[in-house]
Amino acid sequence: MAIHDAVRAALLFLAASLASTASAEAAQPLELHSDVQVDKIIVAEGQSKHVLSEPDVVVPGDRLVFRTAYSNTGTQEVTDFVVTNPLPAGVALDPSATVPAEVSVDGGQTWGHLAALFVTDAAGAKRPAQASDVTHVRWVLKSVKAGEKGEVTFNAIVR
Amino acid sequence: MKRSARWLVAVSAITMSVMGAQAAQAAGTSAGTTITNTVTVDYKVGSIAQTTKTATNSFKVDRKVNVLVETQDSTTVQVTPGQTQVATKFKVSNLSNAALDFALSSAQLTGTTAKHGGTDTFDVTITGIYLDSNGSGVFDSGDQAVTYLDELAADGSKIVFVVANVPLGLGTGDVAGVTLKATGREGGGTAGSMGAALSETSSSNPMDVETVFGDSAGAADAARDAAHSDGDDYTVLAAALTVAKTSRVVSDPVNGTSSPKAIPGAVIEYCIAVSNGAGSAAANTVTVNDPVPANMTYDSSFGIKVNGSVDASGVCSVGTAGGTYASNTVSGSLSNLAAGDTKTLYFRAVID
Repeated sequence: MAIHDAVRAALLFLAASLASTASAEAAQPLELHSDVQVDKIIVAEGQSKHVLSEPDVVVPGDRLVFRTAYSNTGTQEVTDFVVTNPLPAGVALDPSATVPAEVSVDGGQTWGHLAALFVTDAAGAKRPAQASDVTHVRWVLKSVKAGEKGEVTFNAIVR
Repeated sequence: MKRSARWLVAVSAITMSVMGAQAAQAAGTSAGTTITNTVTVDYKVGSIAQTTKTATNSFKVDRKVNVLVETQDSTTVQVTPGQTQVATKFKVSNLSNAALDFALSSAQLTGTTAKHGGTDTFDVTITGIYLDSNGSGVFDSGDQAVTYLDELAADGSKIVFVVANVPLGLGTGDVAGVTLKATGREGGGTAGSMGAALSETSSSNPMDVETVFGDSAGAADAARDAAHSDGDDYTVLAAALTVAKTSRVVSDPVNGTSSPKAIPGAVIEYCIAVSNGAGSAAANTVTVNDPVPANMTYDSSFGIKVNGSVDASGVCSVGTAGGTYASNTVSGSLSNLAAGDTKTLYFRAVID
């Protein structure tokens, strides 16, 4: 019957498109893993050390380390590799830690070193940007070779 | 605000933003807020842009219980013996990132050093803890007796008074130390009833909301016990009255006023001097009563003089007429006696 044929055709089409998606994925085998850890300073025997733990208990003021691990598991070099990370609401970039080289304070429209950026306040006046003004961080890598893996991190504080 | 120089504006904006950041840190992100981090990766393979990849992770902000109790009296609260309903003033601030109830309790020191440096020497009678419900900042009839603060929002604060009666019979410099403790209780429950006690919780699931105690140690509580406390004190300022009575022979019927002797018919002047000690509270409505001795007759022609002074040999002078004589007793009121003041009442009587 005509309806049966139509259904069969649709199923065949679906199968074909699934197969093509699978092959496309196989062609760009890039693995990403994102996690967050709490950076607690523990003082023991008069010495303080940083201990990273799962974010089971996180309260305002705690330090966090956001980490994105990438891995090129394919056979081809990946170029113009850009990791963009908008800062989630409720966290601010930690000014006491290393700030990523490229940040944005205007929602990702313009990028640069934090020290070179300015923000405009409600009254229309410009002032140098602070770590707490950062809305996005990003990392730009020219290339990630086949088999190469790495990670990028930034430190933040729970507001 | 209008400013002519752009640079000035920039400097001021920095200061404001720093202050704003500190204020936000007090309570911070609300408990239970999910923080989701999303990373996107754009890349090319063989110069061809590929589909953007994303990765996310999430956790929930836990509940940090933190409370601050601070006395609002910069110096001790001065009281007089027998004074009633005297308030010490405290501020209770909820520095937690969630609304909570706070149980309030007051206590007294037992001989230790009080908040403003004095040593606790007596106990007042605490009559209650009051909320500054009308927001006047001072304890008055509009304030409500409370045992807990209901649903105090994150970053919210309330003014609370510990109110007490002062016993009689105390001396200047006596000190009574009191403490006020606020203990966090479960919030978000029924308004008008105190929530259950809090306890710290733990879980290995980042998406669970746990409770963490983050308070510091107060005057009468330990760190990380969901409570905070502060002290305040009452210091007594009493009047220290002393009375001295002297007499002199003014004249006698034989010698007149020249070296008079205390023979029948002689006129005797009685001088009663009331003194208030240096550094004492002012004494108000001081009244003096003195029965005229037996075998003597009150001299109504001289009358009674009040608010006079006295010299080193006990001779009264410069009083004004006042007082009454009734039932063989001389009575009179003296005006207010400030610290270090002496005032006198004097009258004359004739030996029968």
